[in-house]
Amino acid sequence: MAEPVLQVRGLSKQFGGLLALCDVNLQVERGEFRAIIGPNGAGKSTFFNTLSGWLKANAGRVLFEGRDITGHPPHRLTRGGIARTFQITSVFAGMSVLENVQVAILGYRGQTWRPWTPARTQHGELARELLERVGLAGEVGRQAGTLSHGDQKRLELAIALAGNPRLLLLDEPTAGMTARERLESIHLVHRIAGELGLTVVFTEHDMAVVFAVASHISVLHQGRLLAEGTPEAVRANPEVQQVYLGEAVIESEQRT
Amino acid sequence: MKSALAGLALLAALGLPFALSEFWIFIAIEVLAFALYAVSFNLLLGFGGMLSFGHAAFFGVGAYAVAILWKKAGLTMVLAFAAAPLVAALVAIVIGYLSVKRIGIYFAMLTFAFQMLLYTIALKAGWLTGGDDGITGLKPAGLLGDPVAYYFFALLLSAAAIYLIHRLVRSPFGYALQALKGNPARLQYVGVDVRRHRLATFVVAGAFAGLAGALFALSSGNVFPNWLNWTASATPIVMAVLGGIHSFLGPVVGAAVYVLLEVVISGKTEYWPLVMGCVILLLVLALPDGLSGLGQLLRRQFRGTGNG
Repeated sequence: MAEPVLQVRGLSKQFGGLLALCDVNLQVERGEFRAIIGPNGAGKSTFFNTLSGWLKANAGRVLFEGRDITGHPPHRLTRGGIARTFQITSVFAGMSVLENVQVAILGYRGQTWRPWTPARTQHGELARELLERVGLAGEVGRQAGTLSHGDQKRLELAIALAGNPRLLLLDEPTAGMTARERLESIHLVHRIAGELGLTVVFTEHDMAVVFAVASHISVLHQGRLLAEGTPEAVRANPEVQQVYLGEAVIESEQRT
Repeated sequence: MKSALAGLALLAALGLPFALSEFWIFIAIEVLAFALYAVSFNLLLGFGGMLSFGHAAFFGVGAYAVAILWKKAGLTMVLAFAAAPLVAALVAIVIGYLSVKRIGIYFAMLTFAFQMLLYTIALKAGWLTGGDDGITGLKPAGLLGDPVAYYFFALLLSAAAIYLIHRLVRSPFGYALQALKGNPARLQYVGVDVRRHRLATFVVAGAFAGLAGALFALSSGNVFPNWLNWTASATPIVMAVLGGIHSFLGPVVGAAVYVLLEVVISGKTEYWPLVMGCVILLLVLALPDGLSGLGQLLRRQFRGTGNG
């Protein structure tokens, strides 16, 4: 059997007296489209940021393709084949759409130390291909900061794909979108991940999005892993229903 | 269009010394040295988003390095001069290593503190630096002793150095720097070690500031501790802002205007810093993008009336 892409063993993270993550164990196989869900404050973001090297874990190990990557700084993880996107859209706002992807390609390949060759001549072709893949072929010359929110999300996806990652971490990829945009956007990611054979781990709070694409779901609750399995199994889990439905009812009451 | 203008300016610079008196040739050399100084500073501020409040450290170290290596260590002038930017780079590695961990005001304060440390050394280590009196007698002998020849020497070096910085800004390194300025978190997640990139930028800027300091020291014939004082770190900030930090050659314009204003106004009144301050204040208030924003402003005005 092939090595799991991602193994998380006993991951814990504490902020002062608050235990945000407690002994989380997780395994993601190649080609999975894994959703991490949980009510607000369940530790999704902490889990995600610890996984991607943004925060240092207090205990536990993270293995990528069998290699221990615990505590590696972001740039090293990224060069190793893990790409991530941010909950709050994060592009290089002052640069053009094409330059955004070019600088990403240069970064992944460790070519940002070249001090002489003009950068605009570098990897233009590949950058255009990536932009075409995410549907931004018509916007190459636009300043990235002036793109619509949805298009910035697409650009961020192109930036993430620029390094040929094997594992893609998406932090709330549909945050701030309308319901229709959300499904469109996650289907785009799902299609591209399928085409490229990527493994994807994403956090998401919109259940419609989760159940539309996730191959597996892990449920976090109060910093612990509550349940895990296929969407059907998770949906049928009474514990999850209790935690989640309670939350959903409260949320829907707040909205009205 | 822009490169045509730069070419024209270079052509004018080539003919300049034949039209000027010796006094003004020295002023022109000062402009060249400070233009390089201001451009090196703006590599940090305008392109890297790092406001250093201690850039004079490297200008001063470059100046002291050429003076000490030549006059005290017995190296030839040429060798001492060539070593000056390297010494400045070495100092920048140390200061940078300890400073680029922090950003914003903390980075500014750290660079400020290190520069004041060097200032104190220049004042107190009299056996090495000449203390209060500085080091004098640095006028080059031989061919470079001729002001016109030295002018061309300075022109060649500062133009070449500014061209190198220009290439750097447009290179993959410069793209990453631009990305870093806007979004360091994102840049880490495309695989760039942001701290090392900041440090490298800091060292390059330091080396070129050191070259500028050495150029100026040999032109003025001396070096004094106040070149390392904090007021000396304000000079490139004012020059860069005056000329425009978002334009590559803005700081060159800023340096020229600053030096010329200083010469003209200080010849007229002993209160010249006051007058100078007011003039700079007015310019910055009227032209938030600096003098290099003036061209754009005029062009827009012109186009506006042309369309209407």
